[in-house]
Amino acid sequence: MKLDGEYLFNGPREEVWKLVRDPDVLATALPGTQSLNKISDTEFEGVMHLKIGPMAGDFTGKLVVSAEVPPESCTLTVDGKGAAGFAKGVGHVQLIEQADGKTLIKYTGDFQVGGKLASTGQRMIDTVSKSMVRQGLEALDKALQARVAAQAENRPVEYKPPTETEFAGAVAKDVAGGVLSIAEVRMVLYIVPVVAVLILLALILSRCGG
Amino acid sequence: MTAQYVGQRITRNEDPRLLTGQALFVDDVDLPGMLHAAFLRSDYAHARIKSIDATAARSRPGVVAVYTAEDMGAFWKPGPLLVPAPHSIKDLVFNQRTQIPMARAGDKVRHVGEPMAVVIAESRYIAEDALADIVVDLEPLDAVVDLFRALEPDAPLIHDELGTNLASYVLQEKGNYEQARAQADVVISRRIVIDRGVAAALENRGYVVQWNAREQELTMWATTQAPIALRNLVSATLGISENQMRVIAPFVGGGFGPKIMLCQPEEVLLGWATMKLNRPIKYIEDRRENFLATTMERGQIHDVEIALTRDGQILGLKDVFIHDTGAYNPYALTVPLNTQTHTMGPYEIPNFHTEFKVVFTNKMIVTPVRGAGRPQGVFVMERMMDLAAQELGMNPVEIRRKNMIPADAFPHEQGIIGQDFAQLIYDSGDYPATLEKARQMIGYDQFVKEEQPRFRAEGKHVGIGVACFTEGTAVGPYEGARVTVESSGKVSLVTGVGTQGQGHFTSFAQIVADQLGVDVRDVRVVTGDTAQFHWGTGTFASRGATVAGNAVNAAAASVRAKILKHASKALGAPEKELEIVNGQVRVADIPEKSISLSELALRANPMRGSVEPGTEPGLESTQYFGPQYGATAAGTVAMIVEVDTDTLLVEVKRFVIAHDCGTVLNPLIVDGQVHGGVSMGIGQSFYEQLVYDENGQLLNASFADYLLPRSTDMPHIEIGHLCTPSPLNPMGSKGVGEAGAIPTPACFVQAVENALADYKLEILETPLSPNRLFELVQAANP
Amino acid sequence: MTNQFPITVTVNGVRYERTVEPRLLLVDFIRHELSLTGTHVGCEHGVCGTCTVLFDGQPVRSCLMFAVQANGHEIRTVEGLGTMDKLHPLQEAFRETHALQCGFCTPGFLMTLVPFLEENPKLSEGEIRQALAGNLCRCTGYQHIIDAVKLASDKMGVKP
Repeated sequence: MKLDGEYLFNGPREEVWKLVRDPDVLATALPGTQSLNKISDTEFEGVMHLKIGPMAGDFTGKLVVSAEVPPESCTLTVDGKGAAGFAKGVGHVQLIEQADGKTLIKYTGDFQVGGKLASTGQRMIDTVSKSMVRQGLEALDKALQARVAAQAENRPVEYKPPTETEFAGAVAKDVAGGVLSIAEVRMVLYIVPVVAVLILLALILSRCGG
Repeated sequence: MTAQYVGQRITRNEDPRLLTGQALFVDDVDLPGMLHAAFLRSDYAHARIKSIDATAARSRPGVVAVYTAEDMGAFWKPGPLLVPAPHSIKDLVFNQRTQIPMARAGDKVRHVGEPMAVVIAESRYIAEDALADIVVDLEPLDAVVDLFRALEPDAPLIHDELGTNLASYVLQEKGNYEQARAQADVVISRRIVIDRGVAAALENRGYVVQWNAREQELTMWATTQAPIALRNLVSATLGISENQMRVIAPFVGGGFGPKIMLCQPEEVLLGWATMKLNRPIKYIEDRRENFLATTMERGQIHDVEIALTRDGQILGLKDVFIHDTGAYNPYALTVPLNTQTHTMGPYEIPNFHTEFKVVFTNKMIVTPVRGAGRPQGVFVMERMMDLAAQELGMNPVEIRRKNMIPADAFPHEQGIIGQDFAQLIYDSGDYPATLEKARQMIGYDQFVKEEQPRFRAEGKHVGIGVACFTEGTAVGPYEGARVTVESSGKVSLVTGVGTQGQGHFTSFAQIVADQLGVDVRDVRVVTGDTAQFHWGTGTFASRGATVAGNAVNAAAASVRAKILKHASKALGAPEKELEIVNGQVRVADIPEKSISLSELALRANPMRGSVEPGTEPGLESTQYFGPQYGATAAGTVAMIVEVDTDTLLVEVKRFVIAHDCGTVLNPLIVDGQVHGGVSMGIGQSFYEQLVYDENGQLLNASFADYLLPRSTDMPHIEIGHLCTPSPLNPMGSKGVGEAGAIPTPACFVQAVENALADYKLEILETPLSPNRLFELVQAANP
Repeated sequence: MTNQFPITVTVNGVRYERTVEPRLLLVDFIRHELSLTGTHVGCEHGVCGTCTVLFDGQPVRSCLMFAVQANGHEIRTVEGLGTMDKLHPLQEAFRETHALQCGFCTPGFLMTLVPFLEENPKLSEGEIRQALAGNLCRCTGYQHIIDAVKLASDKMGVKP
C-alpha cells in the first residue's frame, strides 16, 4: 500500500528538525506513548498504548533511520505490531525550505500490513492512513508553532497534545465525513492504533536535518 | 414390498426440530464448569518463531491455562496422513508433510492462522482478551504464494528439511498422446487458471470436549463430517483406546468438505487440554478464523493441449498442471486425482496424458470442497472444447455430442486411476441424453436462431452456455447400518455417517419404512454418534445416500426376513403368503390373521424361557455395504446470461440442469442438493474469490469482502431428471451432492464469452468478477 | 473487575432480569445467558443474517448489538414462533417446500420473514428475493425458500 503526500509546516526547517529530534516532545505529542527508547543514533523503539472506544492495546514499534542526507532527506524503515496485526514499511522523507520561512515535507512510503488489519480492514486502510498522517502532521505543526511562539516571547511552550480519543475521533470524522456505520467504526478503531504508531513514529522520529 | 416412500417427495422428519430452534448444534452444548478456548494464530504467512511468552496471559484474571507446543511434550506431533498416497501409480513422488498442532518456538509458522498458543478461560471474551497478552518474538520470512515461484530453485522453502516445495508428482498416461498429436489436424494449447475459494458453511467449526476422569472417558461434540474416523484418529493421538472416546456430530450447519479434515489442530489440542485440566472446554471458531484456518480448495494452473481432427473428433488431450496444497498435505492427492479423472468427463478421449505437480505454499491447507477437484477438470475440458469449436467453426453443442461416449458403451474403462486408487470405470450412463435434455430445456435452437439476434439488435449482450460433466460418486470403502424393531413397534435406525443437511433422517427412514411396512415417521434415525455405531467412513464425495443407504437397505431387508420368519411361525402361514402393512404382519388373503411388529419384537426377545441354538435376539440386523468402485453420475447444464457492458455485472437469466443420479430416493431432497450445488457453482463463477497479497495475507477474510451469492444473485433453477441405474449397488443409486458445483463455472464462462461475442474475449480463468471482466474486455479491445 | 449492568429484557413474552458486561453481545446473551439457542451465530459482522431476531417487532442483527441495548425492550426469537407440536404456518411452509437443509440459517430467515409477511407485501419472485437478500444460505440456493414464502402467504391469508 502506497502512502505519498506533502505537508507545509509553519516554521523554519531548523525548528522542524529540532522538534522532531526531541524525543520528550514527541512522546507527549503522540497520544498513548508509553516509552520511547533510543537504542542508537539510528534506531528507536517505542511502545504505545492506544485506547479508542472499545479497542485498546499495546503496539510495539521499531524505527530504523538510514540513507541520511542531512538536512534534506532520509529513509525510514518501520516495523510495528500489536493485537490488531502488524505493519512494516519503508518511507522516504524530504524537507524543503520554503521562501516564506515555512518547511515543506514530502513523503513517499510503501507499507505492508498483516493480521486483522489486512484481513478485515482493507477498505479502510488507504483512507484512514492518509488521514492519520495528516492529523499527525497537523498536531506536530501546532506543537511547532507553540514552540516557535514561546521562543519568540521567551516563555515556556504552551502545547496540549490531542488525547488518544480526540485524535481517533478526528481521523474517524475525516474519513467518513461524519456518517459512520457500526462496522466502519470498528474498522477505524482497529486501524487507528497501529497506523498511528507506524506512520507517526516514522515521520516524527525522523533524523532528517541531522 | 411396495415402494410407498422411496422415490417420493417426502417432507423431512428432522424439520420440526430445526424449524423451532430445538435442534442441537455444537455451540448449543452447555456443560457445568465449561471453559472456553481461544487460539493465538499467526499473523504472518511465513516466520521463524524465536519465543512465545505467555506469562502475562496466564496471570490475567479468568484465565485458567495457556498452552504452547512446549507444554504438550510427547503429545506434540504432526497429524496422521488421512488418505494414503496412491502407490499404485508408477513413479509416484509423494512428500508427506502433515499439519502440526501448534507452531513451536525454534521452528516456523507456515501460514496465516496457524495456531501458536491456546488460552483456556472462564469465558470466550476473556480468552480472546488474553490472546493480546501473549508475546511472540518472531522473524518474518519471505512467503511463497505463487505456484510457479514455489518451484523455482531459489524460492523460500516451506519445509526446510525437504529441500524443495514439491509435495508430489504424478504422471498418468492412457494411449499415446504424442502419436495422436502427430496425426491431428488441429492442435490448440492454452494456460488455464483456477483460483481458491472457501466452503463457508454458515456454521463455523466448533467443538465441546469433556474428559471424565472418573470414567476415564472423553466425549467430543464436533462439527465433523466423519465422527468415527475422528474418534479413531484423535483417540490414537491422545493415547486412549477408541472405546474410551465418544464423538457426537449433532446437527451440523453445513459441511461441504472442510469438516472432514481430521486431526485438525483444534481437535487434538482441545482433547489434550480437557484431559489435562479435567474440565469441559468449548471452542467455536469465528468467521475470520474460518477464512484463515479452515481448509479450502481449488487453486490450480493448467497447461493443456487438445488434438482434434478437422471435423471435431478429439484424438488426444495433454494436461500438465500444478496444484496448490497449501502449507501441508494431509489429504494426499484426492483433489488433483479427481481433477485428472474428471477432465475426460463424458467424452471419449483415446489418448490422454495427464501429469501434475503439487506444491507447498504459505497458505491454508487444501482439502476437498464440494466438487473436490472435479470442477477444475471439467473447467479445463469444457474450455478446450469451446476453443476447438470456435477454431473449427462448430457449434458447441455439436462438438460435445460428437465426442460423447455412446449409451451402449458401459461399463466404460477410462484407463486412469482415481481417488479410490482403482481404475476409473464408468458404471452406467447416457450422456447424449443429458445433453439433449438440457438443450431442449433451455430452448437452445430457438435462442440461438431467434432470441439472441433480436437481443443483439437491441444492443443487449445476452449469451448462452452449455457444459457437460461426469461426477464420480459413492466411493467406498463402506458404510454400515443397524435396524431394530422395538417393542413399541416403532423402528430404530442407526448409521455411522454424520448429517449436515442432506436429509438422512428422512431418506434412510424411507428405505426402512418401505422394507418393514411402517410409517416413515415411525422410523427414528440416529446418525453421527460413535457410541451408537462405530464402523464407518464419513459423509463426503456424494456417497451418503448410496453407500450408507445401501447398508440401510441391506439391514432393513435382513430384519424383514427375520420378521417374516417369526411371523410365519406365529401365524402358522408360509412366509410367501405374508405381507407387512401399517406395522402389522398379515396373511395376504386373510387380513384378520395378523400379528403386530410390536408383538413380534416382544416375542423375539423373551424375558424368560429358552431359545433355540443359534437364535439372535430381537428383530435387529447390522449390515455393511461397500461398492466395488464409485458410481458415476453425469449431467449437462445450460444457462443464459445477460452482461451489462457498463457495470460488467452478469445476470443469470435462465439456468437448467439435466442430471442423472440413478435411482432417486427422495426427489425433494435431490432437488435441494442440486440447488445448493448450483449456488456454490455460481458463487465460484462470479462472486467468490480469495485475494492474497504477496506476503500470503488473505485480504478478504469476511463476508463483507468475500461474497456469497444472495437470493437476488441466484437464478431460478430448472432441473430435468434422467435415470440410468447403477449396477454397482442393489438400489441402483448414484450420488448427487456435488453435481451443481461441478460444471457451473465452465458453463458460466462460455455464456459470458458468448454474450460478449463482439468483444472477442477468450476467458481462461475462474472466478470472474466485474473488475476482472472489465480488465479482460479492455485487454481484448484496446 | 468488569463492569456489570442490570438489565431487564422481555423475550418471547417472558421478562428476564440479568446483570451483564457492557460488551456482551445480544446474541450471546440470548443464546448463553437465556439458553435460547435457536438463534445462531454465522459471522459476527452483520452480513449473514443468521442471528436475526425481532427487536420491538423489527428484524435486527443481534450479533451487532449489545445486550445492554436491549434493556427495557421486547425481543422475539424463533422459539417464540411455534412449537414442534404446533408449527407456525411459515414453519409449516418451510417444511413442505424443503426450504431448509442444514437448518442453521433458518431461524434467521423465519424472523426476517415474519414481519415481512405481516405487512401484506406484493409477492412476486423479485419482491421475495429482495426481502431475503439480507440472509445468506449456503445449502438451498434460496429457491425452495421462495416457494415457502409463497406457500406461507396462502396459509396466512396474506392479501397484498
